[in-house]
Amino acid sequence: MMAIGLLEFIKNLILWPPVFYMLIAPGLITIMILLIILIWAERKIAGRIQMRYGPLEISPKIGGAIQLLADLMRYMFQEIIIPRTVDTLPYIIAPIAGFVISMLPIAAIPISPIYFPSPVNNSIIVALALTTLPPIFGILAGWSSNNKFSLIGGARESFLVAAYELIIILSAIGAVIIYGSPDFTQAVSAQKDLWGIVLNPISAIAFYVAVLMATGRFPFEIAEADAEIVMGAYTEYSGLMYGLSMGISYARMFVYNLIFTLLFLGGWYPFFTVPGHTFFSYVIIPATIIILKALIVSLTMVFTRAIYARLRIDQALGGAWKFWFLFSIIGLLWGGAIVLLQGRI
Amino acid sequence: MEAISDIGGGISARKIDDKTMILFFGPQHPSSGHMRIILKLDGDVIIESDPDIGYVHRTMEKLSETKEWIKNSVLFERLAILDAGNVTQAYIIALEKLLGIEPPERALYLRTILSEINRISSHLYGMGIFAIMLGSSTGYMWFFGDREIMVQLAERITGSRLTHTYHIPGGVRRDVSKSFFEELEKGLNYIEKRLRHYEIMFVNNPVVRSRIENVGILSRERAIDLGVTGPNARASGIDFDVRVEEPYGAYSFVDFEVPVYKEGDALARTFQRMDEIRQSISILRQLSKSIPEGPILNEKYLKLFTPAMKEVLEKDKRIKFPAIFTSLKPPSGKAYGRVEEGRGEIFFYLESNGEPKPYRVRVVTPSFRNSILLKYLPVGYRLADLPAIYGSIDYFPPEADR
Repeated sequence: MMAIGLLEFIKNLILWPPVFYMLIAPGLITIMILLIILIWAERKIAGRIQMRYGPLEISPKIGGAIQLLADLMRYMFQEIIIPRTVDTLPYIIAPIAGFVISMLPIAAIPISPIYFPSPVNNSIIVALALTTLPPIFGILAGWSSNNKFSLIGGARESFLVAAYELIIILSAIGAVIIYGSPDFTQAVSAQKDLWGIVLNPISAIAFYVAVLMATGRFPFEIAEADAEIVMGAYTEYSGLMYGLSMGISYARMFVYNLIFTLLFLGGWYPFFTVPGHTFFSYVIIPATIIILKALIVSLTMVFTRAIYARLRIDQALGGAWKFWFLFSIIGLLWGGAIVLLQGRI
Repeated sequence: MEAISDIGGGISARKIDDKTMILFFGPQHPSSGHMRIILKLDGDVIIESDPDIGYVHRTMEKLSETKEWIKNSVLFERLAILDAGNVTQAYIIALEKLLGIEPPERALYLRTILSEINRISSHLYGMGIFAIMLGSSTGYMWFFGDREIMVQLAERITGSRLTHTYHIPGGVRRDVSKSFFEELEKGLNYIEKRLRHYEIMFVNNPVVRSRIENVGILSRERAIDLGVTGPNARASGIDFDVRVEEPYGAYSFVDFEVPVYKEGDALARTFQRMDEIRQSISILRQLSKSIPEGPILNEKYLKLFTPAMKEVLEKDKRIKFPAIFTSLKPPSGKAYGRVEEGRGEIFFYLESNGEPKPYRVRVVTPSFRNSILLKYLPVGYRLADLPAIYGSIDYFPPEADR
């Protein structure tokens, strides 16, 4: 009896939405697995284009798929060197808090129509607000490292934040005004017949490019440009701290792509249920659909590494303010025009 | 940098400028190479650039005075390992002038074939480094991967991938078989096909192009004033090539153009190198068609061969050195050798006083002459342009430091 009660308790604890979301899907465990898949795919695709194998030696039978685990293990056993001249507390906090907070928007991102941790009516606004937090820790890392390259990296990051955040928020609003609600579940149900990317392609493209810029994908890998400023804000980090700081941009990219999937790619549609299996129908299936869509979008984003070089900071900022900012405003007007055509005003 | 002033008590200090930042770019930096560039930055703009070279100085000129003449060719090819054939050729040309000996025609052809193979691989190497400095990892892998073809062709001729030690006074060390020319043709066809891919993927990639167009502009007058050489000078409108001005090897038997660009920016330097690879391919095709049969070493030395040596030459088509080679004693005198290397003109000045070791050797390498560009070109451009400029001038620190 005791054992059954304990099992029941553990099962209920795991399936309690806040725990399930933050720990299992789409939280920590899913993100860890996806990090392995994403980084492996990035290196394999790049290797394919660049006439080489990519990772292979760790597990030749599955194409080196667990290379990242080996790398992480190496990071774990590596000494974490803290230079004497750094500002110790912010230096230690920055990568850890940056990684944790980069996953925080998940609390407001539903992966199922009826099962979510915090039933907020403004979940889109909450999620977008939470995505703006991690760059602060990048800038903090750059400032506390007491290194000129870190400082330049942090300064570049702060310039980029100012440029891309506005584009992301404007293009999200361009979608939200069509759905008429700042709630993810209503936004997704509004896309039952027609996906957001068809309703408002301009905002979708602007959002996609701004996410590339936000997560340091090529050609916007400017804040960590190794040929110029060594490793940007994370130059002074070593060991596990360095591994965490590398993971931040991938975790952020996946979270942004969850939002992109819900806003523009129809969320959990095509939605179907298996009669008799409520949890399976309403949690596992929609979560799988959303995570797969976000993974495919993320794969297209890491693929840019194999094609592009890196832009200069002035070119990226000029492009963001002179073109993509105006482009996202056009997307906003497009959204307004759709609302007018539907005759809702 | 600012003047260091004495503030009394034997302590010197530099005045602090609030608006600028001094950045030490290297020697431990992903893209600085074995050197340091001391930059003064105003925001993101470089207002002063001071290249600090000499981190890989190996006292080559002095060291060569302690070695026999023939052993020095092994030393000097360490100047630029990926362009070893051209470097040794300049030294051997000067040494042959001292000895008063001429290589036979087939040896001249073989030397020139190795020179052009080395030139292609040197350009591919330079562009690979350039690509990774711009962040284009595909360009980097492609250039380095395709360079392997040229390295293997050089191995087929000389027996070693990088430090060939192929040239000897009066000839070359090994002969090639007929099948080599078929492989050479295959390799050239491949590189010719790939050049189009490079243009699509790397040079004309919109991001790369926006990074290198109108960046690091070197005017013709400036290039002449600074004494710039090689592809960098030719991309600034200076029509100068040692292969044309003072032909050596088999260059007087072939027909080729020297590509010249007027713009003088990083893009022109890249296009110039691509065109040089095309010209090298054409030169190699002409040479492989018209290469004559015959000995690969001067008759004067062939007479000294023992029967065993002759047998090796007959069977393996390679030279076993007669003992005289270790104690070559050129008559007293001075001589020079000039060769157009991948990065520009390399110049050797040799002085002999009749001893088995040189009295004085002076080397002027193209990278040393081009290193001054790192002081003048980056000024006024952004920090992110520094790798673009550095990569586009194809600067190679071990070669410059000697």
